[in-house]
Amino acid sequence: MMPAGRRAIPFEVIPSLDLLDGNVVRLQRGDFATAEIYGRPEPVLASLHIPPGARLHIVDLEGSRSGRPTALDAVERLASLGYRLQIGGGVRTIIDARQWIDCGADRLVIGTIAAEDPVMFRKIGDSIGSERIVAALDVRGDVVRVSGWERASSRSIEDVLETLEDAGVRSILATDVARDGMLGGPSFDLYRRLASLTSIPVIASGGITTLSDVTSLVRLPNLSGTVIGRSLLDGRISFAGAVARASAEQSIPERVIPCLDVRDGRVVKGVQFENIRDAGDPVECAKRYEAEGADELVILDISATDRGRRTALETVRNVAEALFIPLTVGGGVRTVNDFRALLRAGADRVAINTAAIIRPELIAECAEEFGVQAVVLSCDAKRSGASFRATIRGGREETEVDAVAWCRHAAELGAGEILLTSVDRDGTAEGFDIELLRAVTASLTIGVIASGGAGELRHFRDAIESGGAAAVLAASLFHDRKLTLGEVKDYLEECGIPTRRMLM
Amino acid sequence: MFVTLVESPVANLANIGRALSAVGAELMTTANPDVIARSRTLVLPGVGSFGAAMAWLRSSGVAEALRTAVDDGAALLGICVGHQVLFQTSEEAPGIDGLGILEGTVRKLTGDIAVPQIGWNRVTVTHPTPLFAGLPEETAFYFVNSYAAMTVEDEVARASYGSSFTAAVARGTVAGLQFHPEKSSRAGLTVLRNFVERAG
Repeated sequence: MMPAGRRAIPFEVIPSLDLLDGNVVRLQRGDFATAEIYGRPEPVLASLHIPPGARLHIVDLEGSRSGRPTALDAVERLASLGYRLQIGGGVRTIIDARQWIDCGADRLVIGTIAAEDPVMFRKIGDSIGSERIVAALDVRGDVVRVSGWERASSRSIEDVLETLEDAGVRSILATDVARDGMLGGPSFDLYRRLASLTSIPVIASGGITTLSDVTSLVRLPNLSGTVIGRSLLDGRISFAGAVARASAEQSIPERVIPCLDVRDGRVVKGVQFENIRDAGDPVECAKRYEAEGADELVILDISATDRGRRTALETVRNVAEALFIPLTVGGGVRTVNDFRALLRAGADRVAINTAAIIRPELIAECAEEFGVQAVVLSCDAKRSGASFRATIRGGREETEVDAVAWCRHAAELGAGEILLTSVDRDGTAEGFDIELLRAVTASLTIGVIASGGAGELRHFRDAIESGGAAAVLAASLFHDRKLTLGEVKDYLEECGIPTRRMLM
Repeated sequence: MFVTLVESPVANLANIGRALSAVGAELMTTANPDVIARSRTLVLPGVGSFGAAMAWLRSSGVAEALRTAVDDGAALLGICVGHQVLFQTSEEAPGIDGLGILEGTVRKLTGDIAVPQIGWNRVTVTHPTPLFAGLPEETAFYFVNSYAAMTVEDEVARASYGSSFTAAVARGTVAGLQFHPEKSSRAGLTVLRNFVERAG
């Protein structure tokens, strides 16, 4: 595995344009009749702020249907403007290939021929140079096939890759067909699998909808770039933003945060906010977590009484006294004074939940007085049909508030970070709710701490990689020593995700 | 090892005080300019804004006292905003002079990234310094900042957030840390210990 934060090969962001009758279009499920027309490529590129010099992935839709190049004029114009063009669709013969290259295309994406006719494929390579050829590999679920190569669907991926390697392919464009045009996120597992099977660099395609998707792709080994289509056209992500993410030095570690649920001065843990059981002394737990490499500690006070909350203040004081990492405290914070009392007791940040839903201005007031870095919005979200609702009073009471919109509003009011707990997953060990995380992280620039559902190592990876979380939180998993913080961090680093190196 | 902790009203002294004690410092916490001027080892913490910090330093006489102590060869460690005020100016408070003990200016963090920076970041040592003795060339520290010195002559460590900035400076007996050593676990305590022991 490559060390986290270091790339062996540069990573290119490649906008994808589908051309039909000279216009940029989007098809719904491959249906030409329902094409959404965006207009000529030049103004589309200008409006998306994609400057000449950028590499573009051009799909000649008509050509891929008819088997003959049809977008030659457009390609010639774009090439003369200085765009570097890779062409997909309709390249089946040496004459086709030469025509595209003569028009100024830089690379050709070839599916059918590469696998069906290795001899022809090599001839094309000899004619235009094998470095100009990109082999398209389409995947649907577990079925791997070379683009357009229906009969090969039963062959193993290893077998297909061997064919491509024998044919001298130097670049693969891998598309998870099931995810193309969908908003569920890229198929990170597919790219990880390809990297373990071949040393041919891979261009990712399909499902990229957020900037954090780009960051996650950059962290994967052996990816040389990503094609992005719909999300650029929709304005969901900007070309400049994606390029910045692709070239950013990965120096910000993702955080692993143990959580202590505290009641009446003792650490407790419940399943789905109920069935509470005792689990130890908070100061001892806190010290152990710091020694094991915790990046931060969260204490959630779940005391039900005023007396319990006064005890919690004492607990915070004692824990802060013993700790040299940031401490976030939440639970029962109703007023600016409650907030201040916790900061004075030694908390670096305070999480507010129920009181902020009842009176959102509390977020702005605390941010104004203590700085946005001190304000964490804690949102306990619960599935309700196709959306998520914010709950209050420790997840016991549902509200009409849409959780995603609420998190966005809280960020505008001055929350510095969101602690996002899935009430449905909490205590189940079934994994973080990736859908909830994506919905929230996609619409925010501030960090999101994923909480609720951690049960095994890959859950932490998925929350960061697919969910876009800046930090992952777990309580009972760490407390019961089913996993240690060190194990989680080792695993994340193996996955290319940077963490704070422990100083032993 | 005696350390004078400058008691600025715009600083959270409890945390830094605890961390200094943990690395063996005997603390004197004061805002008295006479005591500060005679101190051999000083720590200047700070949160909040450059403008508010400078306003207090000037009006209290502490600014002058710090200058006197440093001219006398005292060791001074600035932390976060306490580090920023060591420089000449800041974009956060145009027209307000910093302490000017070090050359350079403090600028706003820019780039496609959320400001303030809140969290751990990788710090790379760019110039060998006893401050980072015992630590690897790259170590994570905890930051909370919207502003930073960008390129200054006395830089000893850099970090990157949107764009790259100065994470630590050292010149003679004066040092500054943009990050919070008191929140940076063992790495932070190591830096504090290095400062306290060398100064003592």
